[in-house]
Amino acid sequence: MANDGATPSIFWFIARRSFRSGRFFLSYGTGVGILLSVALALSGGAAFQSSYPLVAPIFPVVGSSGAIVVFTNDRIKGVLEYLLAYGMTPRRIFLNVLGSAMLLVAVVTTATIGVGVGLFVARGHSIGTTLALDLLVYSVPMSFLCVAFATTVGMMWTSLSSPRAGMNSPIGLIPFVGILPAIITLFAIAGLAFSGASTSQNDAIVGLAVESVVLILVVLLISGLSRFLRRERLLSPA
Amino acid sequence: MLATSEPKPVGPAGGFGSTAAPPIDCRAVSSGYLGKAVLNDVTFRIDAPGIYVVLGPNGAGKTTLLRTLAGILRPLAGDVLVEGHSVLGSDAGDRLHYLSHVEGIPDDLKVREALAFYALVEGASDADVERVLDQLEIRALANSFLSQLSAGQRKRVSIARIFLRERQIYLLDEPTSNLDPKVAAEIRSLILRLSQDKVVLYSSHNLFEAREIGRYVIAIRAGRLALFDRIDHLRTARYVVGLRALEPSEALAAFERQGDYFLRELPGPEAVPQLIRDLEARGVLLREVREMGNPLQDLFD
Repeated sequence: MANDGATPSIFWFIARRSFRSGRFFLSYGTGVGILLSVALALSGGAAFQSSYPLVAPIFPVVGSSGAIVVFTNDRIKGVLEYLLAYGMTPRRIFLNVLGSAMLLVAVVTTATIGVGVGLFVARGHSIGTTLALDLLVYSVPMSFLCVAFATTVGMMWTSLSSPRAGMNSPIGLIPFVGILPAIITLFAIAGLAFSGASTSQNDAIVGLAVESVVLILVVLLISGLSRFLRRERLLSPA
Repeated sequence: MLATSEPKPVGPAGGFGSTAAPPIDCRAVSSGYLGKAVLNDVTFRIDAPGIYVVLGPNGAGKTTLLRTLAGILRPLAGDVLVEGHSVLGSDAGDRLHYLSHVEGIPDDLKVREALAFYALVEGASDADVERVLDQLEIRALANSFLSQLSAGQRKRVSIARIFLRERQIYLLDEPTSNLDPKVAAEIRSLILRLSQDKVVLYSSHNLFEAREIGRYVIAIRAGRLALFDRIDHLRTARYVVGLRALEPSEALAAFERQGDYFLRELPGPEAVPQLIRDLEARGVLLREVREMGNPLQDLFD
């Protein structure tokens, strides 16, 4: 993790707190993701190959909410103000939170895809090139991108508002924002199928296009957060 | 109303040495939030150790001043130098401690974990954490989650972090607010011990507390520096003393009463010995003589 000042790295500390504070989300996202993996793997090879890569990015978004929970609580409690006073830059704070979210998504993705693909293989199916590419080029990167998108939007939202607990807070709503790119891809590819235009190539183009848009959005959001969000936005509203 | 003084450097001889850079040099600083100034053209210099009480009504800019001195807020104009270095440098945190009016402690941690977190940020060691647990008498709470503690216990943990590493400058924003008198007194005592050879800026609404512990006052009114002087240089507009006698006396019958006190307005403190002599000559056995006004009160009027 970048260290742009004389202050020491607190990345692992933030990451541990993200796991602890988000353990409910982590268990829920991982648990539901594994259940769906098992259900699809047991339902047959075709269903798993066609559906699983598209829905796999949804569960890491839920599972990685712990990072934004820590960021929101730290802003309310004045911890971010404390970190600013000790020379930590807003950029470094954002990157620490984003890095923690990436660790969480790695755990959920590894667990859910590992169980799903393991069971799929155990049932006698082989991983073809199409499924491997779908997972490696779409499911895994899209999982990280959706979580990065959700986390950056959540940090911006938290910083620009007086966050509250509950469904109208970033913590409550961010999973819905985060899964949007995956849902859009899902519906776009379903639309192609209904219109008879679904081919491997067309599906791949849609998936890659959404991934590219999300990647650009995340880079712009992180850059905007670091450059344009004033330090006073990180102070406690109390 | 006290006369408003021009901003002036303060620095009695024998502070941190004549050749050292002043601990705090605030030069024509304007600062605020989202481009809107709350503080305007504030200039002062602190050269000597002691407690500098930052006073002012709500919204005057006390917290903004401390946040600007701590480098949390970037000045809209002017400079803040801490020990000769810009407070905006990445090493500013090595020069001062800042205690916000918000606790700044993560609820999801246990006390020992929270102190370890602060120690990590501030470059302190595990041994420092153990020392502070004893120093602040919070060892019994070490394995409790912060969310389980009372307000006073949480404040104590919050304050503990400024004892992890020694620094020359301490910026404390209302450290005793919302605390019961016993805990507030304990914390004041800790800060008083700290201030013997350190600069402590201490914001407070409590005028009696300010007068009790402060050596200097920095008064902020409507975002401007209204006064920067030694507290013992301040005088009330009316100098009134209260007298309590051991026994009722005819000599006090003409005095105005306020509770147990008989009041007398005098030209100044220099007239007190003569008043005592006069009353004793008339057979009054005095038990207590005290100043009834607080000159700091005039800063709010």
